[in-house]
Amino acid sequence: MATLVAENLSYSYTKQSKPALNKVSVEIKPGTLTALVGPNGAGKSTLLKILQGQNAPDKGEIKIDGENLNRSRSLIALMPQRSSMNWKFPITVEKLVSLGQIKYSKSKSNTPFQIKALLANPNAWINKCCELEATMQRVGIANLANRRLDSLSGGQQQRALLAKTLMSPAKIFLLDEPCAALDPPAKEDFLKIVRQLADVGLSLVVSSHDWGESLNKYDQVIVLDKTVLAVGSPDSIKDKLNDINISALNENNSLN
Amino acid sequence: MSFINNNWWLVPLIITIFSGILCPAMGTVLITHKRLLQVNLISHCVLPGLALALALGIHPSIGGVISGLLGSVIAESLTNRKSENYEAVMNTILAGMLGFGVLIIPLLGIRIDLEAVLFGDLLTANFGDLLRTIIAFLVFMILITFGYEKVVYVGLDPEGASASGINVSLLNLALSFTTALVIVSSMSAVGVILVIALLSTPTLLGLNKAHSLRIAMMRSSFFGLCISLLGFVLSLVFNLSPGPAISVICVASLLIPKLR
Repeated sequence: MATLVAENLSYSYTKQSKPALNKVSVEIKPGTLTALVGPNGAGKSTLLKILQGQNAPDKGEIKIDGENLNRSRSLIALMPQRSSMNWKFPITVEKLVSLGQIKYSKSKSNTPFQIKALLANPNAWINKCCELEATMQRVGIANLANRRLDSLSGGQQQRALLAKTLMSPAKIFLLDEPCAALDPPAKEDFLKIVRQLADVGLSLVVSSHDWGESLNKYDQVIVLDKTVLAVGSPDSIKDKLNDINISALNENNSLN
Repeated sequence: MSFINNNWWLVPLIITIFSGILCPAMGTVLITHKRLLQVNLISHCVLPGLALALALGIHPSIGGVISGLLGSVIAESLTNRKSENYEAVMNTILAGMLGFGVLIIPLLGIRIDLEAVLFGDLLTANFGDLLRTIIAFLVFMILITFGYEKVVYVGLDPEGASASGINVSLLNLALSFTTALVIVSSMSAVGVILVIALLSTPTLLGLNKAHSLRIAMMRSSFFGLCISLLGFVLSLVFNLSPGPAISVICVASLLIPKLR
């Protein structure tokens, strides 16, 4: 169980550019499913990368259970957007998922330090193999273990990527647009799985363009457009979302 | 030694075997990492290094590897792979380096058999050429033996690999260095320009339905070996130039499955 608190995060890609994020504060409680919604260019992916520690914010701080992010980075895992993956790579589903276990130390060693730990304790090998199988079963891809990645449907690929992310020892999982390009049934399936994961105590943040009905499946909704426009339960922010929809539409019309 | 002197075809044959295995294996890594354009870039960038090394009295291979690597580093530092200008910048540097090489050859007053460098001259290959091929083979084997997992992770998910602690830039530099080495080592077999065929065609055949990078590399190497040996035999029988013969067989091998 871990609580993530980020306060007043600001970030610009270059010194000259406009801020991608401006004074963003969020709190992710244990065992919750959070939707991070906003239009294109709202800074959703940027925020997730900062929360995971890939990018450092210009201002603000991030703490996990009161500790600085740098000390507890292993508690956060990021599932990247579909577009950052090379889906044509020759690899089986099982091998992809097992890559999620690997963490390389910053030392000169070529051996992943988790594997070193496993060598010291042979029983851990068996546990890891069980964990791999259990994780694949949990997301419903155990029967696809030996299939090549590019032979899967979009929904199956996303579930495989989720299983890889879940193999890390993290407690907070940041999923960057996992439902993009999925058809409605596949999207429904995916959201069902992440709901189950939240119910067993994991914290998940799912970024999305979808401002519609599916928001009811979340415990918390954060509306982002460079800064946090609204945060709360799906019901409590419904009216605000309508306003934001209208203003976004107006903005698009004026651009055209 | 007298056995080798009496059997002049032996060294070229061993080079054919090594190149036939090595180039497709390297090509498999590069194609799965979407770095094939880099091969073209490096192969065109080795010429100025070869010329300068000859003028300075250094072994030409060393100059070729350095200038190939330098061209690759310059191109990567001027753009990134996500930029829409990426291909334009790569092709500009490719043409510029080749042009620079052609310009300095007469200025330095050196003699280089350009045709042999660009298109290969396998039948006159010597022990030095063989040694170069074996060194490239060993370097590639070391990279794959000790870095296989990292090569797979970076090829599949560069962002995830970086987040898990892999130094992606260093691995890419190691790949560029090994690529430059493989290209220079293949100079005698197929030449620095036609090596692209041996790096890509067998890979296209080997990648099909392979369940891992390792299997894809092994299958590509098998196809590469068959193509290279066929090219070698045909060039002996019909008195052809082996490099262009191997390149033409590469194209033919792509067409055969389509004719079924």
